Amino acid sequence: MNESGKKLYEEVKNKIKDSQKEGTLEKQFGDFWKFACVIKTRQHDLRYLYDDTSREFVDKNRENLIEMREEFVNNMDLYVEKCINIMRKKNFTVHYAKTNKEAQKIFMEELGDAKIIYKSKSNEAKDIGIIDVLKKNGIIIKETDLGDVLVQLFDYKLPSFQIGPGVHFTEEEIVKKMKEVYGVELEPKAQAIVNYFRNTYRNELLNNVKISLTSANAISAEEGTIVLGENEGNISLITRATDKHIVVCGITKIVPNILDAVLVTQLQSRINNVSFNYISLISGPSNTSDIQGTSVQGMYGAKEVVVILVDDWRTKAVNENLIYADFLKCIGCKSCIYSCTASRAFGNIYASKYGLGVTAIIRDYIHNGIEAAVNDGLFLCTGCENCYHWCPVSINCGEILKFIKKEATEKGLAPPHLEQYKEKIYKDKNPFL
Amino acid sequence: MTKLIYLGCLSNARYQETCKNAIKIIKFLDQKYTVLEDVPCCGALSYHIGNDKELNNHVEFVNNWFELNNISEIVTTCAGCYNYLTKYYTQFLGQDFKVKVKHFLQFLAEPDNLSKLDLKHSGKKLKVSYHDACHLRNAVVPIIEEPRRILNSIENIELKEMENIKTNSICCGAGGGVYSIFKENSDYNSKLIFDQLNRGKILLTACPFCFTALTRIREENQLKKPVKKIEDFIVNIIEGVDPLSE
Repeated sequence: MNESGKKLYEEVKNKIKDSQKEGTLEKQFGDFWKFACVIKTRQHDLRYLYDDTSREFVDKNRENLIEMREEFVNNMDLYVEKCINIMRKKNFTVHYAKTNKEAQKIFMEELGDAKIIYKSKSNEAKDIGIIDVLKKNGIIIKETDLGDVLVQLFDYKLPSFQIGPGVHFTEEEIVKKMKEVYGVELEPKAQAIVNYFRNTYRNELLNNVKISLTSANAISAEEGTIVLGENEGNISLITRATDKHIVVCGITKIVPNILDAVLVTQLQSRINNVSFNYISLISGPSNTSDIQGTSVQGMYGAKEVVVILVDDWRTKAVNENLIYADFLKCIGCKSCIYSCTASRAFGNIYASKYGLGVTAIIRDYIHNGIEAAVNDGLFLCTGCENCYHWCPVSINCGEILKFIKKEATEKGLAPPHLEQYKEKIYKDKNPFL
Repeated sequence: MTKLIYLGCLSNARYQETCKNAIKIIKFLDQKYTVLEDVPCCGALSYHIGNDKELNNHVEFVNNWFELNNISEIVTTCAGCYNYLTKYYTQFLGQDFKVKVKHFLQFLAEPDNLSKLDLKHSGKKLKVSYHDACHLRNAVVPIIEEPRRILNSIENIELKEMENIKTNSICCGAGGGVYSIFKENSDYNSKLIFDQLNRGKILLTACPFCFTALTRIREENQLKKPVKKIEDFIVNIIEGVDPLSE
């Protein structure tokens, strides 16, 4: 083990220690997350909304989903081409970016001289580095999902629960912070806080948005339709009441057809036990042909819908059969996070800037290398493979992490005790003597 | 040809009493099984960290040892050994790995063995819970129903399932060497397993790693309900000792 291995181990240890200090926001998040994981996994077997449980729903569709995702991954270039062709015919502005860097450049060009962007929750935008580049260029990022608004309000730097990014802040804390920042005095009740944003922010979203950014839950290659699920209505507003709607996502968001896209979206809703009150199917910019049959773009909705499809690591993973190639099947449902032993115990210590849990660590490994993954708590994974058992498309993330751990060991980055065990196994043939 | 009782390095080093109990049961069921000295570790822990070349060397070393000692069959009491011997040894050695590997629970659950044991709990009816270890439920041939078949066969013993069982069980947080580097993982997860012991009066496990983590959590949190390795529990039943006693 080398010095950086030792340093990384100490860093993770310290992060854990800090997260256990009473009264800190880190501890507050950790406690919330432990509770959330138990609830989320328990809900998986409840029959409170539908006739079937979420587990039954997943099991019923698993075979179909695996087949669909494998079909896509095996013919990725064909599906991408098909998708781009149909989207261009439907008046989308489509860009295909080979790398994240290229995507960032295209994005900034599309942004023009706009200085403000309204965005929905988007892991893909983080993955592609759009958020970083926006910050670097001094663009004002206006979050629209209430959870993200709260996170921004608190200037909370650590990754939090993607589904409810600000859900660990208490009502009292929120109104106190709002008084500090906005100078308003509110009753510490969820309804009052929501009312405040409805009465103020909603108007802004309806009238001021020039450019908006979203990702996609799925994109259908056959119809060229973007599927976006949400409950708040923020996505509906910022994708309609805007001049330009920019969609940024990896090419792996593509699925063969619209039924598959809806199935993926429904699965995301079932796994997370959230009801998508709104599901948008966007097949092009707003248009009308009501005057003499002349097609004019930009009636009431977005005048332009720009889609930036990003390859970056994806095609390379297939072609070079990289250890994370299986991860291309991922549909972003988050079941691996809820069922994860390490995530449950360590919350946002076992995480990266891309979010919580194993998938975020794999993304960090892909973009920022092995040291980043070790720092994210790679060695907190017990290899229990709960992620694999829960995954609706049977990705064995535990196995992927095992490969990443091996690489870390070869580079001298494994924690000290593990190295000792290994040596004892090979030399003494018993690590415990 | 030798039939070997493969105790596993952790049990061998730390849980001698449990080893004795396992040997007692296995030998009672099949006299031909034997224990050998200086049995090498299967190398399970190093699969998370070793490179393929190192692993290959170790696997070959162990396999040579098996061949040298003429081992044809193995019953192992360690969940980790079972998982790795059945998965990685075949993966690395292919046809060269000729040893037939069984886990203790598989061996016990064979109908002939169960009827030969004819287990009866002499005390009043006892409710027990079983923790599914990752190593067993994730194996190439998963061991999930066997422990249930065994426990359900014992007169006066009632298996009370916890909320998270089978492939959905909670990992104790000790696997993959995490126990030695980040104990905080089992601090939380092992406690969670105990929290699910609603009606079960005793927690049973077949994995020495889970047992180690669960025992520590039980002591640190001064929990009342005992945790026991399944072989110790079965010997208690055979000998008419109260399984709830320490």
